[in-house]
Order: sequence, then structure tokens, then C-alpha cells
Amino acid sequence: MRKNSKLSNLYLVLVFAILYAPIFYLMYYSFNSGGTMREFEGFTLDWYKEVFQDTRLLIIVLNTLIIALLSSAISTIIGVLGALAITYVKRRRTKNTLLTLNNVLIVSPDVIIGASFLILFTMIGIKLGFTSVLLSHIAFSVPIVVIMVLPKLEEMSSSLVDAARDLGASRREVLTKVVLPYITPGIFAGFFMALTYSLDDFAVTFFVTGNGFSTLSVEIYSLARQGISLTINALSTLIFLVTILLVVGYYFITQRNNRVKGVAIRK
Amino acid sequence: MKQLLNAFIAIAVISVILYVSINQLNSSQGYSSGNTLTIYNWGDYVDPELIDRFEKETGIKVIYQTFDSNEAMMTKISQGGTTFDVAMPSEYAISKMKEDGLLIPLDHSKLPNLKNIDARFMDLSFDPGNQYSIPYFWGTVGIVYNPDMVKGKKITSWNDLWDPEMKNKILLADGAREVMGMGLNSLGYSLNDTNEAHLQEAKAKLNTLTPNVKAIVGDEIKMLLANEEAAAGVVWSGDASEIMGENEKLDYVVPEEGSNLWFDNMVIPKTAANREGAHQFINFMLEPDVAAQNAEYVGYSTPNKEALAILPEEISGDERFYPDAETTEKLEVYDNLGKKMLAHYNELFLEFKMHRK
Repeated sequence: MRKNSKLSNLYLVLVFAILYAPIFYLMYYSFNSGGTMREFEGFTLDWYKEVFQDTRLLIIVLNTLIIALLSSAISTIIGVLGALAITYVKRRRTKNTLLTLNNVLIVSPDVIIGASFLILFTMIGIKLGFTSVLLSHIAFSVPIVVIMVLPKLEEMSSSLVDAARDLGASRREVLTKVVLPYITPGIFAGFFMALTYSLDDFAVTFFVTGNGFSTLSVEIYSLARQGISLTINALSTLIFLVTILLVVGYYFITQRNNRVKGVAIRK
Repeated sequence: MKQLLNAFIAIAVISVILYVSINQLNSSQGYSSGNTLTIYNWGDYVDPELIDRFEKETGIKVIYQTFDSNEAMMTKISQGGTTFDVAMPSEYAISKMKEDGLLIPLDHSKLPNLKNIDARFMDLSFDPGNQYSIPYFWGTVGIVYNPDMVKGKKITSWNDLWDPEMKNKILLADGAREVMGMGLNSLGYSLNDTNEAHLQEAKAKLNTLTPNVKAIVGDEIKMLLANEEAAAGVVWSGDASEIMGENEKLDYVVPEEGSNLWFDNMVIPKTAANREGAHQFINFMLEPDVAAQNAEYVGYSTPNKEALAILPEEISGDERFYPDAETTEKLEVYDNLGKKMLAHYNELFLEFKMHRK
């Protein structure tokens, strides 16, 4: 048994090593003074300096972030409402149909979604740029939020709602004081999923950017023809570190919340 | 509920901060609304300093947007929704864009610097009279090879690739016109040949190359060659200069039987909102010192005769990228073969790819 667990630990370490290797490889070369990813010549911070001097690149990074935050916040609101609506549909067939339609949107290829948005936006006369990117990001994030929130809603026992109603809670109070707090973890999970989807989406964004508005994924992709410079390595390293900080922060917040809850129960 | 509200407030606050800082960055560059010009170009295909200079000289604010393939660019332009004022398509894309009515004719009276372009690169088959396009950069298709790995043998022609010594040592770029063109050229035919017998002959000859071919790859060919994963590769000269920048051991040669001559060109799409500014920009890029600086930054070959005179000898004298008249004579620009013939080329190329060793 012991031997077995050692083996499984080794396997786990191996898997993580493989998953993280490319990222660390990229980070390592971001300090290379040589200018290529071939040989490490010496330590330098020049590439980081270049990132902060390249205003165009910085604007693109900020654009990417603002789109990610806004689109995932808005799609979380829409997605939660959608999930609530789906749970309150009583007829099984309608419910399944709605769920299937939602899943179709998740699995349909990004290229097709992107191309359809491009055609739609140009047809109804929305100028490509911030609005078009925001709208399409919201659109592909909503189904993801729905999928993340639904299990929490299903898991919630209906007696909770009944009890609240019996104690005189209005519909609004039931929603804000019982249902929403219960599904909060699901909502956050949905929000973060939407955030990552939006940050790394290339295919959809590619079709709907324009008029001077661009995001990081599109920009890096079009750099590929000339060879990607180490500035991109530096930038990716920074973004990776920020993501780690966010995840660690999120971890500690949930830890603390759990502890608080634990204490309350023991009382 | 409180937690959710707090989170949403935090997001709103961060968004506002981001929005303010974007505006700040924009205005720090003097980017305000008004006279603007949108350039649609390949990534990192112009020296940013030149854009700053153009903005200062003319007071026009430049928005630089990038694309990664001719096809993507054409889709964006044909769909509308954006106002691209100047774009830089490759030559085969121009005949297609012309056919689709995506370009507006250029006003040559507004482009006095046109005289700086070498006459060799004017009035070519894809755009007679340069009605719609002005050459921006040019190059060839050739062979990058690693002298160490070919045992000191000097590669000078396409036929050297068929050498049994090269078994499993060659990489090919994944392009039907390039590979078929190589087959046709090696037999002494034109790479725009449409004669069925010649095409079949070329394909049969290519099939005999398969034992030497290690892989047919896309953009990763640059990395593979620079990392010495293969002894030779068929690539565009632009890629070649990059590969050689990364690995100085490698060398590039334009095969003596002839090869392809390619162009990236400046055009004004029909979506242009600032036609006056677009002409100004094209004319600015044609100025000798501007073109020279740009060529040094990008590393591709400039068609600008006056700029070539200014460029340092080590660049302009490099016969690999500025081949002499004799070699240039044998280079051919791709003709627009028409949809049917192009499909046939693709099919032959596909058959070659599937051919067993």
C-alpha cells in the first residue's frame, strides 16, 4: 500500500513537471541577454524594461484585462439569472432542451462563433472595436457561468426555500438571503472560468477586433511571422506571476471563510 | 450576498482604474480623436520610430493594427466594420482583392517618391501599371542549409536536394505553390506552368524526393532549422534572414535554376476613411532614408533604389538577399492561375504529401 502511494506521488510530480515545464522554460529565457530562446548568454532585465516602455503593448494588456473583467462580471450576472430560470422550469423536457442548447454553445468551435459574430456585427452596423469584443466575450462566457452555477442550485434542498417562505421571507429576501449566499461558491467559480476564457480567447476575438482595439492574444499571434521577441516572454512571466498571486489570494480567502464557518458550527 | 456585492464593487473599481489608465496612456502618446490613420500590417513589420516620425511631421495620429495571414486580412476588409486606410498584402492577395473590388486606385500624382522604386519591381504581372499597389518589401524562395550537416558540400541548385546524401535531412515549407514551383523549376519549367504534362512530370520528380524529406512544416520551420534539426530547408528569404540571425552557421542560397520572387505591397482598401492621409503615408514610406531605416529594422529586402544606396554595404552587398541581375532575371512572380488551376496545384501537392517513402 505504501509503495503504491509513493508511486502515485511520483506520477503526480511527473505530471505537474510536464505541465509547468514550458512555462518555466519561457520564464527562464525572459532573463536572457542573448535575444533568442536558443542559448542563455547572461542575466538581464532589459526585456522587462522594454515591456514597460512599450506603450502600445501596455495599452493592449490593459484592454485585455478590462475586457476580461467586464465581460466576466456581466456574463456572471446574466448566467446566474439564466441558471435560476432553468432550475425553476418545472417541465422536464423544456429543462433538458434549455440545458442542451446551453451545452451546444459551449462545445461549438470558437472559429464559427467568431465568424458569425463578425457577420452579425457588420450586418447590424456595430463598429468593430471595444463594444464588439465585449459583447462577443459576454456571449461565449454566459453558457460557462450557467454550467458552473447549476450544480449548486440543484444541490440546494428545496426545503431551505420553503422554510424561508414559512418564516415570512418575501420572494426578494429568499433570493438575496438564502439562494444567492448558498450558490456563492458556484458564482465565483463561474466568474473565474469566464475570466480565464476571456483572457486567453484568440479565435473569437480575432474576428471582432478592429479600429485600433486589440487584445494580447491577437497581438502575439500576429507577431509570429516576425518571430516572437523576448519581450513577450517577459510579459508572459509577469502575467503568470499575477495569476499565481490571484489564485493564492483566492485560496486564502476561501480558507478563512471555511474556518469561520467551522467555528460557527462548533458553537 | 455581501461577499458578492463586495466582489462586484471591487471589479467595478478595478475596471474604472484600468479605463482611466488606458486613457492616460493614450493621451500621453498624443492620441486624441481627430485626424487618424489606421495601418493594417503584419506584426512588427515597420519600425515604430518611423511611425512616431510620421505622426510628428504630419500631425496625423496612426493606429497600427496587425494581421497574421493574407486571408484573414481580406476577410476583415471585405466584411467592413473597420476603417483600414493602408494595408500590406502579399502579391497573390492583390489580384484577388482587385477582383473582389476591395481596393481603390492610387493617385500617382500624390506619390512623387514613387520614382525611388527600382524599375525592376514596377509594373509587374499582379498589378500592371501599379494602379493599386506599391511594393513594400520583396524577397525570394530558396534553400537554407547548414554547411556542417551537408559535409561541406555546396548547395547551389534545387537538384542538390535530390542528392541521396540528404536522406531524411530536408524540411519543406507547407505551401503548394512553393513546393510545386520547386519541382517545376528543377526541371527547367516556369513555376507558373499550367501544362498538365509538365505538372505531372514535376509531381513525379517530387515523389522521388520523399526519402530526403524529413517533414513538411509551417512556421515552426524557422525554429527547427535554427536548432539544427535538419540540414536544409526550403523557405522564404524573409524567414531565412531570421533563421540566420538566430544561428550564424547557416547559409541561404537562391537556386540557380530560378525561383519565386515575392512582394509585400502597400494598398489602400476600399474601407479607407482617410485617403489623403493614406497617400501621405505611402509617400512617406517611399522616402529613401525612411525606407532604408525600415529595411534595417525589418531585415527584408527593400525595392527602393535610393534607399539601397544609403544602406550599409554589408546589407546592400549581401547577394543572398539582394541577388545580382543575372539571378533576378530567372526569378518569377506568381501569376494568378485562377481558382481551378490553383485547386489542381493544391491537389498535386496533397498527393505528394501523401506519397509513401
